[in-house]
Amino acid sequence: MLIAEPLQTAIEELGKLPSIGRKTAQRLALHLVKSNPEVVENLVAALTALKENLKLCSVCYNISVEDTCDICKSVKRDRAIICVVEEASDIIAIEKTNEYNGLYHVLGGVLSPLSGTDADSLKIKELLQRLQGDTVKEIILALNPDTEGEATSLYLAKLLKPLSLKITRIARGLPIGGDLEFADEATIGRAVIGRITL
Amino acid sequence: MYLKELELINFRLHKSSKINFSDKLNYIVGGNGQGKTTILEAVYFLCTTKNLLSSSESEIVNFNENFFEAKGKFKELTEDLSRVLYQKDINKKFFYLNEKQIFRSSSVIGKFPIVTLTQPDHSITQGAPADRRKFVDMVISQTSETYLKILIDYNKILKQRARLLIQIFETKNYSLLQQLDSWTETLVEAGSELISHRIAFISDFNDYLKNAYSKILENAETPYIEYHHPEGTTAEEIKKDFYLKLEELKGEELRRCSNLAGPHRDEFTFRINGLELKKYGSQGQHKTFQIALKFAQFFYMKEKLSRTPVFLLDDVFGELDSYRAEKISWFLREVGQAFITLTDFTRFEKLNVGSGNSLFTVKNGCVEYA
Repeated sequence: MLIAEPLQTAIEELGKLPSIGRKTAQRLALHLVKSNPEVVENLVAALTALKENLKLCSVCYNISVEDTCDICKSVKRDRAIICVVEEASDIIAIEKTNEYNGLYHVLGGVLSPLSGTDADSLKIKELLQRLQGDTVKEIILALNPDTEGEATSLYLAKLLKPLSLKITRIARGLPIGGDLEFADEATIGRAVIGRITL
Repeated sequence: MYLKELELINFRLHKSSKINFSDKLNYIVGGNGQGKTTILEAVYFLCTTKNLLSSSESEIVNFNENFFEAKGKFKELTEDLSRVLYQKDINKKFFYLNEKQIFRSSSVIGKFPIVTLTQPDHSITQGAPADRRKFVDMVISQTSETYLKILIDYNKILKQRARLLIQIFETKNYSLLQQLDSWTETLVEAGSELISHRIAFISDFNDYLKNAYSKILENAETPYIEYHHPEGTTAEEIKKDFYLKLEELKGEELRRCSNLAGPHRDEFTFRINGLELKKYGSQGQHKTFQIALKFAQFFYMKEKLSRTPVFLLDDVFGELDSYRAEKISWFLREVGQAFITLTDFTRFEKLNVGSGNSLFTVKNGCVEYA
């Protein structure tokens, strides 16, 4: 196929992004070809800024502009609770709820021997360091409810047990506003097992 | 549910066949290699989007042609048209339900429940323990989505844990043992859920099996499936025993780098009058047991799903004496719709095609009503 080389390169690069297939990559590239130069310049600038201006928070490993992220710096935040999550994207999801006012800790993955992630490659040592002193009273484990997340939660729970903290795990069950009849069997099953007294 | 009409184009020997089926028994008679089983294969394809005999789709296409097509009209409360089209040049199959293309086979599976009895099924009683586990897992999965999900998770945990065992073996890094503990705990959680499901299933299924067996053989032979699982009656006790077993085997597991205990290793023993079928059963007893298992599966699924599956029996009468064959043909009348292939009808005169049942002959890919 004869496609101009710069276009071909752009399509290949865009196609490497998550949830972008070949056709979408091609549509995006062609759209950029037709766009005004400043549209492309702005995009390039925004992308470059991502890499140049962002780093990981030195305390919780959230994505941050400065050395310490806004959440860790905030005086309004409850410093007695740390919520442990897998990725920075999970922080965004929890923050949107406005239900949580504590701090976070990003592990940067979960235990998965098949993909070569073990406890040393996660930010677990860093978490233990944060727990020195007696500011922190509670740890919430908010990892995904899949097998890897489950194993990691169990591992952390065991590791943290000697520290005499309150260790909790987020509940699993039915989505709010969801119809019981449309939920899948496994979810309903778990929700029944994890029922609470009123 | 039953299959009312089937149309085959370039489907193995069938260049163009159109068959109207009875909603009761359909006997398909013909010599070897004439295209009897092909009809079952097509029915299976339409119900599951998968192959009955694990050959590739390109082999199903009639020689000199480049596509095959099968259409089926299913009748339940509504009429559903299921169609599968395979194109050889691009090696792709297309599946349509009421002329709407289906992209995920999971949206078809379960819509048309089906039970099959074919030659490879002899391994359920005569083969390795894994074949028996596979049968049990398959029947439970078809009636419980929860079980299927836990099973998939469980298999994932097994893989992760095995990988970790290898890693510990290779690196001799014993700080990883703590991680192994958490994988062990996850394994026990998921595993004991599987075990509880299986215990409940077996105690239920044994009644179906006894009933089916007594319909085929009126003598005092009593079949029984025994499930060997970690000891205990409550979920907690089972979990504890499973955990203890894993603790005991830990050294061995680290040496052999594999998961040595759990539902993936639990055995099912089939017994007749208390004797182990695999050790003491005759060929005839094996065959009868296999047939009873499938009938039991049929009635179990019918009750659990509240829908009647289609029953496919490929050449089951070949190895049976005429007494058993006759019994089975009477039993089949309780089933609903079934498709039965036979090489020779005259040998089984007593099968007699009753009213409402159909008899077809197949010769070199051509179907005739007899």
